[in-house]
Amino acid sequence: MTQRFRLLWLTLALLLVLLAIEFGASFLPLGRSARPLVLIPAVLMVGVVGTSFMEVGRGPEIIRLFAVAALLWLSFLLGLGSLDALTRIEYPVQAANPR
Amino acid sequence: MSEASQTHEFQYSNAHHQAETAISGMWLFLATEVLFFGALFLTWIYSRHWNQAGFDAGAQQTELAIGTINTVILVVSSFAYSAGVAFIETGNGRRLIQCCAAAWLLGVAFLILKFGIEWRDDFAKHLFPGTGFALHGPLSGGAQIFFVFYFLGTALHGLHMIGGLALVGWIILRASRGEFSPAFYTPVVVVGLYWSFVDMVWIVLYPMIYLVGRGP
Repeated sequence: MTQRFRLLWLTLALLLVLLAIEFGASFLPLGRSARPLVLIPAVLMVGVVGTSFMEVGRGPEIIRLFAVAALLWLSFLLGLGSLDALTRIEYPVQAANPR
Repeated sequence: MSEASQTHEFQYSNAHHQAETAISGMWLFLATEVLFFGALFLTWIYSRHWNQAGFDAGAQQTELAIGTINTVILVVSSFAYSAGVAFIETGNGRRLIQCCAAAWLLGVAFLILKFGIEWRDDFAKHLFPGTGFALHGPLSGGAQIFFVFYFLGTALHGLHMIGGLALVGWIILRASRGEFSPAFYTPVVVVGLYWSFVDMVWIVLYPMIYLVGRGP
């Protein structure tokens, strides 16, 4: 078995382990607001697929530029798009007194 | 990365240049796809933030077993295709065809589970948003928004899967004609990038749909 095939098998095993961690973490008693933390293994899995199956580290420099640009613009999109929702302070509204 | 083929189009300086351009072009396309799906992910963040209880009530209606099996299927499918690329690098065209066929069949299995079984059950359980929606009460609104995300997200991903299956089928056809060799296999690499990207999208959709809303 060559180095390349060994790496592919290791990648598959790593992805399945991360998937199992993610699956198990979904049953932890996290608060409702903290539950998106379950996405962390998924983000790691995306990184593993990108580096191993898609071989982002191989080939011309410009493909890494495209990959970084995609992540940068995605972070702008998600960061700026959710900024208001995640930072707005909700003050309790006092019910109007009926006259 | 594929080595130079013997021939190249006139606009390229050599075959290696042509191969690098094709692969870079696919990466650029995938960068635009990241933003396409990014908008979908943003709707999830925004909608769930304002409707957490309803969103989670909707997520608890999804079929966790099918979603998890489908995730394993896509991960293994992406692995199989990548193994095919590694095989053609060593000149083993027969193994390339076998790996691509395995990836294709796993992709078909995903679609059957997703749309043939899971969606059918979802419709039978009246989970499509609108009048007659299964959940009632104060959580109904948030749950319906969740299912808008669910149906739209899985439909868009499914369309990408169908496109990917067509491309993998095209690679199988060309490989069966003996068109690929260690000297030329750029289309195999380009289609592999797309196939792995479709896998990536599902890896993110899976916890958003099935996992975040679950738990004690």
